[in-house]
Amino acid sequence: MDFGLTDEQELLLESLGDLLERECPESYIADLDLNHQQPTSFRKAMNDAGFGSLGFPEEYGGTPCDAVTLVLLAERVARQGLNNGYGLELLQATDILEFGNEDQKREILGYLAAGEVPFALGFTEPGAGSDNSAMATTAVHHDGLVTFNGTKTLITSALASKNLLVMAKDPAVENPREAISMYLVPMDSPGLTTNRLDKIVWHISDSCEIFMDDVTLPESCLVGVKGAGFKQLMRNFELERLVIAANCLGQAQCAFDDAASYAAQRVQFGKPIGSFQLIQLKLTDMAIKLENMRNFVYRTAWMVDQGLPLKSQGALCKRYCAMAGFEVADEAMQIFGGVGVTVGTRVSRLWRDLRGHRFGGGTDEIMVHIAGRQIVKDHS
Amino acid sequence: MKIVVAYKWAANPQDAEVGPDGTVDWSRAKGAVSEYDPVAFELARVLADTCAGEVVGLTVGAAAIDTPLARKAALSRGLDSLVMVADDALRGADGTRIAAVLAGAVRAIGDVDVVVAGESSVDVGDRQVAMTLAAQLGWAGLNAVRAVTADGGSLVVEREVAGGVETVVAGGPVVLAATADAALPRVPGMKEILGAAKKPTQVLDLAALDVPAPADTIAPVSTARPDTGNRQGVMLDAADLPAAAAQLTAALRQSGVL
Amino acid sequence: MNVSSQAWVVVADDATIGGLLGAARPLGTSLVALVAGRREVAEAAAAAGVDRVVWLGEPADGVPVEAYGPAVGRVVAEAAPRVVVGPATDSGRVLLGAVAAATGAVVLAGASELSLDGDKVVVERAVGGGIALRRDRVVAGTAVVAVAPGGTVAGAAPVAVEEVDPGPLLALRVTDRRVTPRVGVDLGSAKTVVGVGRGLKAREDLALIEDLAAAAGGELACSRPLAEGVDWVGKERYLGISGQTITPDLYVAVGISGQIQHMVGVREATTIVAVNSDPHAPIFRECDYGIVGDLYTVVPLLAEAFRAARS
Repeated sequence: MDFGLTDEQELLLESLGDLLERECPESYIADLDLNHQQPTSFRKAMNDAGFGSLGFPEEYGGTPCDAVTLVLLAERVARQGLNNGYGLELLQATDILEFGNEDQKREILGYLAAGEVPFALGFTEPGAGSDNSAMATTAVHHDGLVTFNGTKTLITSALASKNLLVMAKDPAVENPREAISMYLVPMDSPGLTTNRLDKIVWHISDSCEIFMDDVTLPESCLVGVKGAGFKQLMRNFELERLVIAANCLGQAQCAFDDAASYAAQRVQFGKPIGSFQLIQLKLTDMAIKLENMRNFVYRTAWMVDQGLPLKSQGALCKRYCAMAGFEVADEAMQIFGGVGVTVGTRVSRLWRDLRGHRFGGGTDEIMVHIAGRQIVKDHS
Repeated sequence: MKIVVAYKWAANPQDAEVGPDGTVDWSRAKGAVSEYDPVAFELARVLADTCAGEVVGLTVGAAAIDTPLARKAALSRGLDSLVMVADDALRGADGTRIAAVLAGAVRAIGDVDVVVAGESSVDVGDRQVAMTLAAQLGWAGLNAVRAVTADGGSLVVEREVAGGVETVVAGGPVVLAATADAALPRVPGMKEILGAAKKPTQVLDLAALDVPAPADTIAPVSTARPDTGNRQGVMLDAADLPAAAAQLTAALRQSGVL
Repeated sequence: MNVSSQAWVVVADDATIGGLLGAARPLGTSLVALVAGRREVAEAAAAAGVDRVVWLGEPADGVPVEAYGPAVGRVVAEAAPRVVVGPATDSGRVLLGAVAAATGAVVLAGASELSLDGDKVVVERAVGGGIALRRDRVVAGTAVVAVAPGGTVAGAAPVAVEEVDPGPLLALRVTDRRVTPRVGVDLGSAKTVVGVGRGLKAREDLALIEDLAAAAGGELACSRPLAEGVDWVGKERYLGISGQTITPDLYVAVGISGQIQHMVGVREATTIVAVNSDPHAPIFRECDYGIVGDLYTVVPLLAEAFRAARS
């Protein structure tokens, strides 16, 4: 087994390190978090350096990329302390590049190049989330037009996006698996209104409710094949879980490094608190969790690259990393004591943001639901 | 126009171990494009792009400078091709010999109009090799270069001088050492890194270059660790900052430095 | 190659040569100044206590001193002195490079001490970017050394200026010169210097550091990233191996990690105080007093304490 990096991976990480130092220092991230803004200038710089088209088909200016490299880069950006800073937007854009029409592709690539959020994923509803069969938003096709009605909620980054990638069902189709289609709906469409939801995590990505009241658009807003929306959406879910896991790993590493440095300098009873075994025990267990996360993420990515069936691997990895990552951040917070919860400390932000990953992209519990079924099936 | 970027593959002294007797152990320090050099790559690329020129990277040193990683690290910085002289006979070579080998390589590359270098190397820091190279080639040399453009057969160079900036027109070939902040070097992107392995690299044989044998002009007498003043290294308690500030002020007053 | 017992200094159109003469004088039986540049510089050198002045003639309008490289190399190689001392400046290094190419000598840069051992020159200098010191004896040929040029010297009875033909010059011409207004700062003689580095988050926050410098009665300085990376502080205030070297009584380093390239410029300070949020910052291994903490909290407290102590 080779745990080393390739030359290219090493150089990419070095370049990314330089770019992060230049374009994404802690002061920048702290400002984004404070002002609830997207890292637009950083994303633009990433795009200018070619990181913004990673894994896209070459005809769209993309660069082929393996999953191991993708998670290495996502982990590195997260280690800077930036939540969801890199990776997910690429996977989402891939949906459009794969299934969208030429106009949609051009539009999405343009937004990516400018560092903007090309679209938000409109999936979760008040009565439906992981249970997609309960989806209530409807899309009725008529006279070359589509009319949408329904409510989406907890939609991430929609207020900063130009478009919403809406999942909606045709009420005339019985089977929910064949009823759902994917549409690219401009956020400024008549009849579409939003309601911001303030939250205590993920400040750089806004959240909102979206109401669609007879939103009517030309049928060309359909992405891919009518009725195949769910299948299209699922296509990148495994990789998405992996990128989320890598993001948790990087942020947890960041929290760990901060806590370990603090333990080495904070003096109590005449000694740095890092010299006390109770603190050392915490740091040791945090280090073990990080090592486990790292191995889990890298091996899962390696499986993707080998073309091995992931089965429940992605769900296992996401569940473990989200939980272990938050545990690491929580212990980091404990090491910081009262300092850790003061507003403006990095560890407090990491703690908040890592908490969000225990439900974002699928809750810890739905990961059990996915993996558990698979495990029992494999042993039946 | 043919532009050579003369750069160094070197380790950062920060990663080297210095023994109590002043001997330096570089074995744990990793090589990289020396930190003052990326700006030279950038100036060269910008110049080449404005005059349909070609940029050739050039580095010389011990055999260990020629690794696939080292090649790609340089080739991903906007070069069209790379030329190296990698020979253990150059291990620990002094600046004048390095300059002579660079000069030999520049002559071997042929038809070079300008050599661009960084202001200094990270591992030696003498700021001398580029200007010795200029003299070896019989070319003009200019330090503290901020910008360079082509104007017909001449190069127009902007350089920093005490109290201002001068424009110097070079009528012949020239070696330029760029100031560290002449340009913000591009970070090598995905495409450049992944495409680096496909660009041509030529390794020149040291023996085939017309370079005089090294003359042993200096003999080492001794080495020492720099005197860091035997600093007191008193760490003040950060948990009570006002007390720490008071304690520090009192100590500085007492020793008469404040 | 046999060398004479003379010591030469190379003058690059700049009469501030006290440091060069001081370094070269003890190393030879006679002291010769080789001047490239204007007559007034040659005349100043002639009155600086040297035995001879060799001058390469008045440069035509717009010809920079670098054009004289081949002439300097040739004249020195012909004279084959025991030692050539030249200025460690941008143009000085060009002329010393020409001497190195003409004589095959190594330019010994960063020299901190020069001495004679019999008739051999011994040079102590920083190597490895300042991490170690090394003494070398020049056993063959001319010793070529770069040192800080130093101040002006005058008062000696002038010797004759011997003009020699420089031969062909290199094709360089200065076509324009723009003066950039610069606030004069003499960090070299400042008693107290406050340096700031990467730890500073925004340009506006410089006011904090300026206030600390004022409270300490000192000058503001910075590490390389602040002068060259972001340009928040003038280049003339940047400390380190390729910037200024200072020798104050007190140096306070704020948000500076203490990379070797910086420390080389501040090592001669009598007392070094470091403020940094990273307890592992190398500067804490090279300071007299260290405070681990956020500069935004520590600096105002220090400024207040300094101000109170000095009033």
